[in-house]
Amino acid sequence: MSRQIQNIPASSNKSIVQRLGGQNVVVFLIVVALFGFFCIVSPNFRRYSTILSILDYSYYITLIAIGVTFPLITGGVDLSIGTGLICYSLIGGYLVVYQGWPVWIGMIVCVLCGAIIGFINGFLVGTMNLPPFLATLCTMMMTRGLGSICSTGLGIPWPTAGTEGGWFRTIFKLNIGDMKLPLGFLWILLLTALMSFVLNHTKVGRYIIAIGSNKEATRLSGINTKYIYIAAYVISGTFAGLASIAYSAIFASVYPGTGAGFELEGIGGAIIGGVSMTGGVGSITGTLLGVFVICILKTGLPFIGLQANWQQIITGIVLITAVLIDLSRNVKGTKSITTAFKKR
Amino acid sequence: MYNSQICTIVRCANFYRIIFSNRHRREIVYRIRQSPLVKKIGFNRIVLFLVLLAMYCFFAVFAKNFVSYNRLLSAMNYAYFLGFLSLGVTFVIATGGIDFSIGPVMFCAAIMSGYLLTHYHWPLWLCLISSVVIGMLYGTLNGYLVAYKSVPSFITSMAIMQISKGVASVFTKAQSVSWPQLVQENGWYRNLIKTRVGNTYIPVGMIILLTTAIICAIVLNKTKMGRYLLSLGSNKEAVWLSGVNVKKWEMIAYIICGTLAGIAAIFFVAAYTTVQPGYGDQYNNEAIAGCVMGGTSMGGGLASIGGTFIGVMIISILQEGILAIGLNKNYQLVITGIIVIVAVYLDVISRQKRN
Amino acid sequence: MGEIILTMKGIDKTFPGVHALDNVDFELCRGEVHALMGENGAGKSTLMKVLTGIYKKDKGTIIYDGKTVEFTNPREAQQAGIVIVHQELNMLGHLTVAQNIFIGREFMKGIRIDDERMNVEAARLFKRLNINIDPTEKMSNLTVGKQQMCEIAKAISHEAKIIVFDEPTAALTESEVNELFEIIRDLKKKDIGIIYITHRMDEIKLITDRVSVMRDGAYVGTLISKDSTKNDIVNMMVGRVIYEEPKTESKVAEDAPVVLKVEGLNAGKLVRDVSFELHKGEILGFSGLMGAGRTETAKAIIGADPKESGDIYVNGKKVEINTPEDAVKCGIGYLSEDRKRYGLMLQRNVAENSTITFLENFMKGIFIDNKKENNETEKYIESLAIKTPGIDQLIINLSGGNQQKVILTKWLVRNCDILIFDEPTRGIDVGAKSDIYKLMNELVKEGKSIIMISSELPEILRMSDRIIVMCEGRKSGELRIEEASQEKIMHLATLRN
Repeated sequence: MSRQIQNIPASSNKSIVQRLGGQNVVVFLIVVALFGFFCIVSPNFRRYSTILSILDYSYYITLIAIGVTFPLITGGVDLSIGTGLICYSLIGGYLVVYQGWPVWIGMIVCVLCGAIIGFINGFLVGTMNLPPFLATLCTMMMTRGLGSICSTGLGIPWPTAGTEGGWFRTIFKLNIGDMKLPLGFLWILLLTALMSFVLNHTKVGRYIIAIGSNKEATRLSGINTKYIYIAAYVISGTFAGLASIAYSAIFASVYPGTGAGFELEGIGGAIIGGVSMTGGVGSITGTLLGVFVICILKTGLPFIGLQANWQQIITGIVLITAVLIDLSRNVKGTKSITTAFKKR
Repeated sequence: MYNSQICTIVRCANFYRIIFSNRHRREIVYRIRQSPLVKKIGFNRIVLFLVLLAMYCFFAVFAKNFVSYNRLLSAMNYAYFLGFLSLGVTFVIATGGIDFSIGPVMFCAAIMSGYLLTHYHWPLWLCLISSVVIGMLYGTLNGYLVAYKSVPSFITSMAIMQISKGVASVFTKAQSVSWPQLVQENGWYRNLIKTRVGNTYIPVGMIILLTTAIICAIVLNKTKMGRYLLSLGSNKEAVWLSGVNVKKWEMIAYIICGTLAGIAAIFFVAAYTTVQPGYGDQYNNEAIAGCVMGGTSMGGGLASIGGTFIGVMIISILQEGILAIGLNKNYQLVITGIIVIVAVYLDVISRQKRN
Repeated sequence: MGEIILTMKGIDKTFPGVHALDNVDFELCRGEVHALMGENGAGKSTLMKVLTGIYKKDKGTIIYDGKTVEFTNPREAQQAGIVIVHQELNMLGHLTVAQNIFIGREFMKGIRIDDERMNVEAARLFKRLNINIDPTEKMSNLTVGKQQMCEIAKAISHEAKIIVFDEPTAALTESEVNELFEIIRDLKKKDIGIIYITHRMDEIKLITDRVSVMRDGAYVGTLISKDSTKNDIVNMMVGRVIYEEPKTESKVAEDAPVVLKVEGLNAGKLVRDVSFELHKGEILGFSGLMGAGRTETAKAIIGADPKESGDIYVNGKKVEINTPEDAVKCGIGYLSEDRKRYGLMLQRNVAENSTITFLENFMKGIFIDNKKENNETEKYIESLAIKTPGIDQLIINLSGGNQQKVILTKWLVRNCDILIFDEPTRGIDVGAKSDIYKLMNELVKEGKSIIMISSELPEILRMSDRIIVMCEGRKSGELRIEEASQEKIMHLATLRN
């Protein structure tokens, strides 16, 4: 009895703490190493403007990655975020550009649309028990169609900086004289902190982890898992809505039919950052770091002479690698195959 | 004109209500289900076929000039490549997996082999074979990762989807590829879908698709491979503990799927000639929709090739009909999405009932 | 004993195909430990799930604390003060002990969860119960026994008036059991009513006041524990006397050839240096507590779990077994304890399930020879007396006993000479149980050899020729049937080095 107390908990406790902490440190080192690598190889990469553009392109990916972390921790996935963010941006932009609505209302519409699609996803998964990847695949296709329908198939140019309503672009990039400040990064950090708090210190977050850990036990503890699923997917959808604002602010125009593939960058980032495909494990900080691995790769590749199309291939490979690492980590983490069997 | 049609519909509905009043309905359905002919064909497939007919009638009524041989032929253009995709993904879904990469893989195969034909001037037959081989290679990679590395199938296939899009773009430097027209040199491959004999077109593609479907049905139901695939879809661990090399067979399902996606590529270009890199993912959903509608269970272990075939026909008629009543392609995305949700939900419910 | 706190009257519950509860009555007083006994599948757990609102009853009334109640989910029952300590532990491995205990009713500080206070409260709770567990430890790092203690602490923290223990001692070591009994006695003093589901006769006298017995979903009767004998209870449980006396001597000759020899097998934490021999025509019993490593040993032998070291000899020849495929080729068949999960393809029919192990034998060219397949299956349906409307019946529609027979069929079709039965009668009703026993005895007579893993001591004592007892992944002893007794096995099962 007392022997067990001395042995088992004490030793394995440490290793787990090390592993979780270690994961973030490792990913951070990868980020630094990648950045260093590109800096050394390409002189053009070592410029403030490059760093700015890495950050610019990272905002919307980071936002959807933070959002998708929540469904991933429940053991599900949200594939609708990529085409979704384009759809929301098209709808919001259409209202602003062609209907003359104020920009701030357009932005709210973006976020609201995201929350609604998130709610539908959560309902399909939590209440109707559809497999998450299929349910969200359907909403992915539907948002793609809806975006085109709502914008009547046109590309939408959100107001440019300097014109009326163009102020919203300064949310992410502030010009002070000749200096451009990546203001968006500040918001990302704030949102990371906020969502970390939600995940680790609120009931919703706690129950999301609980569901990912053992759905049946969570239900038996008297928790209404349906609501928790809906919450997880609404968070994901809302962040896709926020991402749509970031996307509109960075790019001159938004085109219908694009957006497929963004979700993989988001999911890939989350998994690199230590979110487990089997659910129950993950941190927002890890996700943030993971996304930067992908973003630096994406921005860096053209600097070493690979054309933009390689990005898709690289994203695919990075995603598979991340999942393979996650799987090997899981095998090591579980005590024996039997416990792994039992969990399923 | 419309008025009288609506009257007919209302009358039909009344008739239905009388026959199928609650008291009788269960018994009638039960009797229909138990009759030997229905049992042999399968109740679900009959219902599905009726849905197909109903849909055709619907478009016949509401779309202008819908009832014509040419219209049907153009609907079938869509059905051919979609049919091959759907047949392929049926094997994967039967094992309890999923493949989201079939659409882009089909495009990648069509683009790369087309590029070989137009820029490197490979002989046509070699290009057609290379298209199938490219599909097979993606299927193998997909299957290897799922079966031997235990990566969840939806993640692998999403990654493969991305990779195949990228590879196609890199290979052609992001240009679109146009396969030759029928009258041009090397244009004979277009006869694969319809051949002109005298003044009429013979739908050769339909014959090839049907033959393939029958072969698939035999493979799935009568051979060792089919038995293993369905069994491991039903309970992978049990089959594994029974001493079957489940990894090998699971991988084979993905290879079949990829190969059929490669064949689908030939029929896609034979119908539409031009392919652009970076697209193709919408066809995943339609292929899966056809498959799931046809009664193949997302949980694995239950599959129906006949059902898949009818499901594909429904999707094809639907897309032709949507265009015919003046809506654009985007509406089809939304409608297919809803169809998949409903079909999968029905599957989920029936599985819950059974357990 | 205090006043009556709970009365369940005429409870009825039907699942598709099974009449799980048939007009069951039950009553519990404050400060009483009321044992609920019965065979596997007698309906004990179902009755408790009806009480705590996990299942909805079809008929009957529940009067709790003087009021008629009807709980629709476990949370309502919890709030009313009825909590259950499940047999399968409901832990959330990724959360800490304190977070597990207070899941669903966290202490809040505004919108923030007050983890510090939860840790303090959990520590206080453990102190009250005299348990030594760190509340900030991750749940998955605890031993099974410790996890159980956490579950109990969680139940107590609910201010429960009734606590249901569902086979709490199945996974506990002797000292842990004593500790648990201390806790239960303590709870009794606090006027809490305790329903105690168990299989172990010796615990009845030790801890309970009354014992109610269920059989085949029906209530049989209630006895006062201290006035009743073991036989009284057993008779009520089985109704008719079908339990033969324990096997007294082995019929296997000392010099029978060794068909399977395992030497120094190591695989993970639960299989440490296991060695044994299996003789031809022998039933070798594997006994031990839950989590002692018996199933893991079997899985390592058949190559389902990776093994670190160890040699396996089949019929004297050394074999390499790395996957179940290899094991089947060597003629070893494994019948899992979890039939639905690891044994059957529920959506496929009897014939398909029977021939999956040896499909090569049923081929005609590239096609499956359905006729041959059906004939072979028919043959076994007859010889094993499998009750099924036909060979094309889906497995999901068969009863537990018949499902087990189908799994057996698939190994007989493959002609396996070594069969590993893992809990062969779990979840099988009494009649079918003796069927399975009979079959096993016939099989060994025909020259097959059986390893039987079982948690039920009477089953081990009744069937085995030789018994191997495991504890914490090690073989802690080997007994010939002539010298074996429940006490000796229990002693070995809790023997640590």
